[in-house]
Amino acid sequence: MITLQNVSRWYGQVIGLNDVTCEIGPGITALLGMNGAGKTTMMRLITGQLRPTTGALNVLGMDPFSNSNVYRRLGYCPEIDNFYEHNTGRQFVYYLARLAGYEKPGAQERTQKMLQRVGMLERADSPIASYSKGMRQRIKLAQAMLHDPDIILLDEPLNGLDPVGRREFADVLGQYAAQGKTIMISSHILYEVEQMTQSILLLHRGRLLATGDLHVIRSLLDKHPHQVRINTSEPRGLAQKLTSLPNIVSLNFMPEGDAIEVQVREPNSFYESLNRLIIDDNVKVSGFQSPDNNLESVFRYLVEA
Amino acid sequence: MQLYLYGHSLKEMLRMRRFLPWIGVALFTALMGLVWPSLVPESSAAQQYADLSSMLIFRVLALASAIYTTSIVSQEVEQKTIVFLLTRPVTRWKLLAMRYLASVTVVSIVAVMSALLLSAVVFRGHIGDNGLLSGDVKAIVIGAFCYGALFLLVSLLSSRAMIICILFAFGWELSVGNLPGDLAYLTVFSYLQALAQHPATAGGPKAKLLTGDLGTTAITPALGMQVMVITTIAVILLCLWWFSHFEYVPREDAE
Repeated sequence: MITLQNVSRWYGQVIGLNDVTCEIGPGITALLGMNGAGKTTMMRLITGQLRPTTGALNVLGMDPFSNSNVYRRLGYCPEIDNFYEHNTGRQFVYYLARLAGYEKPGAQERTQKMLQRVGMLERADSPIASYSKGMRQRIKLAQAMLHDPDIILLDEPLNGLDPVGRREFADVLGQYAAQGKTIMISSHILYEVEQMTQSILLLHRGRLLATGDLHVIRSLLDKHPHQVRINTSEPRGLAQKLTSLPNIVSLNFMPEGDAIEVQVREPNSFYESLNRLIIDDNVKVSGFQSPDNNLESVFRYLVEA
Repeated sequence: MQLYLYGHSLKEMLRMRRFLPWIGVALFTALMGLVWPSLVPESSAAQQYADLSSMLIFRVLALASAIYTTSIVSQEVEQKTIVFLLTRPVTRWKLLAMRYLASVTVVSIVAVMSALLLSAVVFRGHIGDNGLLSGDVKAIVIGAFCYGALFLLVSLLSSRAMIICILFAFGWELSVGNLPGDLAYLTVFSYLQALAQHPATAGGPKAKLLTGDLGTTAITPALGMQVMVITTIAVILLCLWWFSHFEYVPREDAE
């Protein structure tokens, strides 16, 4: 649906996006990166607000710059928190519904439906100037999704939403993704993003550092052995057995005395060996987890690399 | 869609908060109409109206045009709301054209309202006696189109459009039109005066300066109309092309 081929974007002598090549298809993709990494530049290029300085960019097979055919099928929730403050939430969404091509009855119906979906019906007729950050965020989400687009780009949409709002929002996105829509979401709230998707694009200083499934990316990071915490009532006995395994890099006893933490290479092979230990040697294991097999750790490892 | 865009833009521009100051301006021109006869008691009502119209109404026209037209794009960029407009399936040139037409309408309303009030005061309620009014209305509407197109172009090219446009309206238009030679041909005001066909002021040099009568031009109404129409069409086409082909994003947000 979205393809970038060696796309770069310069602002004078400052580079915003540097030679990025990637494809973004149906489902939810997280666009991650620190401030200034180029996330907003990439969003603006895909939404056709900017043109690439070099490279080729296609959205639904078309050049998105100022392209109405693309905008009919694309919804965008920008990071900015600016509105026509004197408008009510309903007026604002209705206005954009009309610009999306709906006639009056259709626009009214879509406005009502989207306000309901983002939980803003009760305050829809108050001026936007009186809205909290979370309400403003909900209104932005409503306008992005009101024309039922095939592609939805959301720039930091979770900012200002309370935990319940985030949960509801994640559910809505999940429904859209299940319908085969392409959703790209940039966020710095990594935990929340991880609950929504495993597919990531990681930008750092304008460059695309990694793209693909989170766990696949993690497994490729050989420089950082995987941490595995094993809960057991017999930490010493288990440790003794684990030291014989080939993939163990190091082993630590947890201060609580009921767990050990091992650093391993080739985690899949290690998990098979652990299974055998549990079955064959009757080792008592009450649980295990991998504390660095998550988005935050991958992000940290990649950015530090 | 286009009609909705035009109507919505018109409604926004006529919001009381934005329009109220212009009612104040119109009342001020009417007040000047009350005071002026005491300053030039020997002149006729038509002469008084012509002088005040040249001095005030056409300046109000340029000022209103500078303020309303530059807000079409610049204000949206500054307020960062332009992103909502440019990511909708509306062709950019149509978006700009409808907003431009709305601004021309509002500017015309402001200036015609001022002219009507002034006329009512100067002719003591007998607006029908003012033979200059129809010419003024025609010149005002043409002027709203032409100033609007010029100021729109400036606002598309510069982030300091308002300052440039106000300097043009009150610096260039007032001074260049009064200079000797053919420089008056370079002002919109001179062509609008030709369309309005105001009689030359009977006042002294100061009045001539304010009414733009110091310069000498031989612009006929027909030439005035041709130049205004051609200029407006050429500039507005350039604006529409420019807006369709160049980037407009909130400036300070560029990473």
